[in-house]
Amino acid sequence: MTEDRSDIRRLVQSPRAKLIVWRFACAIAFVLAVRVIVRLDWATVAASWLFLLTGLGRSWLLAVVSIVAGGLAAAPLALARVYGPPGVRQAATALIESVRATPELMIVFWVYFTLPIVTGNQVTSWNAALGSLSVIAAVYLAEVFRAGLYSVPRGQSEASAATGMSSFATFLYVVLPQAVRNMVPALIAQLVGLFKTTSLVYAIGVMEFFRSITVTNNAVFAPYELYLVLGLGYFLSCFAITRVVRWFDPKYQLLE
Amino acid sequence: MDWHILWQYRAALWDGLVVTIWISALGILGSTAVGVVVGCLGATPSFFLRKLTSAYTELLRNLPLLVKVFFFYFVLSMPTVPAALLGLVLHQSAYIADVTGAGIRSIARGQLDAGLALGHRYWQVFRYVILPQAVRIVIPPMTTQYVAVIKNSSIVALIAVQDLTYQTQEINVETFRGFEAATAATALYVLVAFAVIGSMTILQRRVLAR
Repeated sequence: MTEDRSDIRRLVQSPRAKLIVWRFACAIAFVLAVRVIVRLDWATVAASWLFLLTGLGRSWLLAVVSIVAGGLAAAPLALARVYGPPGVRQAATALIESVRATPELMIVFWVYFTLPIVTGNQVTSWNAALGSLSVIAAVYLAEVFRAGLYSVPRGQSEASAATGMSSFATFLYVVLPQAVRNMVPALIAQLVGLFKTTSLVYAIGVMEFFRSITVTNNAVFAPYELYLVLGLGYFLSCFAITRVVRWFDPKYQLLE
Repeated sequence: MDWHILWQYRAALWDGLVVTIWISALGILGSTAVGVVVGCLGATPSFFLRKLTSAYTELLRNLPLLVKVFFFYFVLSMPTVPAALLGLVLHQSAYIADVTGAGIRSIARGQLDAGLALGHRYWQVFRYVILPQAVRIVIPPMTTQYVAVIKNSSIVALIAVQDLTYQTQEINVETFRGFEAATAATALYVLVAFAVIGSMTILQRRVLAR
């Protein structure tokens, strides 16, 4: 009899049983959530689904375009910070650090309100959004590139120098390939942060996902339904990117 | 460019700076309290605590701060400052929980096993063996998180909390001197951030000296 009981206890405390209990609890929570969600009034929201989907698409477009543009700008910045001659190195460091210490919202306002004053040309809110998000992406990616370059052990470049390779060849054939491989997860992880940052260009009137939700809410007033869509849109987008990062490196610590 | 405008609006900028410092300070305190507790619970051997805390951080980290702040303000109709603070604290606590958890997990598992083998309870080992070591590891990433709180506090201007960013917008609306105002505000933000970085560096030296 006592043997039976200890068997049961061992069964209940096994990791497998715990996982089953957890999955079961998640399933119950999911069913309850669905029951609540179904009771909400979806007719008003369903009418503007195309508008909302366009907004989500614009957010994705903003994030992807600006991470590509930012990446192009980040490469020379990172190279200047790591390999630049003394003056250039400090200038790049100062530029990267001061932009990183500035609130993202201030950068958005800065590009939108002050770029026209400085250059004398009108800037559309879409271009200002792309510009400011690219600046934000550039400085953060520059740090990712720098970390990637530093992640290659010194012995690698010393060894290739000892075999008689020039410093440029060492960089191109030895350091860069290893650095790129190390920084792929961090690069994609930056997209999570940037995708969330796209919500800030709401403030300068770009009709991205956040603004399209608030505009719809002003028209039909369905805050619970619309904020649920808003949360799901951002959560699923960021979660998808996170999954991609984990696919590259299951142990990657996501900190943007 | 007309830098006199800054002197003319010095009272507005000062008020904004005071609000930004207040919101940031309360945000830092709140998110540290919540984040450290969640992070410590997530680092315990308990399966369910680990799952629950990872659900908490996954959910909060994958939503923009703006969504949280607007949700509390417009959907739950909270007053501006509590909505802003709650949003800031929930947002950053998820990151701080991850930083704390990573710091605790970086302490070798053998330390915990050795403590348990000596007959101590989990909480005793945690308090006297793991925590003192984890604090040293966690301080540098915590500084990054605190600077992030200061930066993120600018978002509360969008629900009309009259912080530094809000005052910058006011000056821009009244005088079209957005460039000067934004420059001054950015300089002030960087100053506050450097003050936090400096004090954390001093704290780290004192902790390491012990």
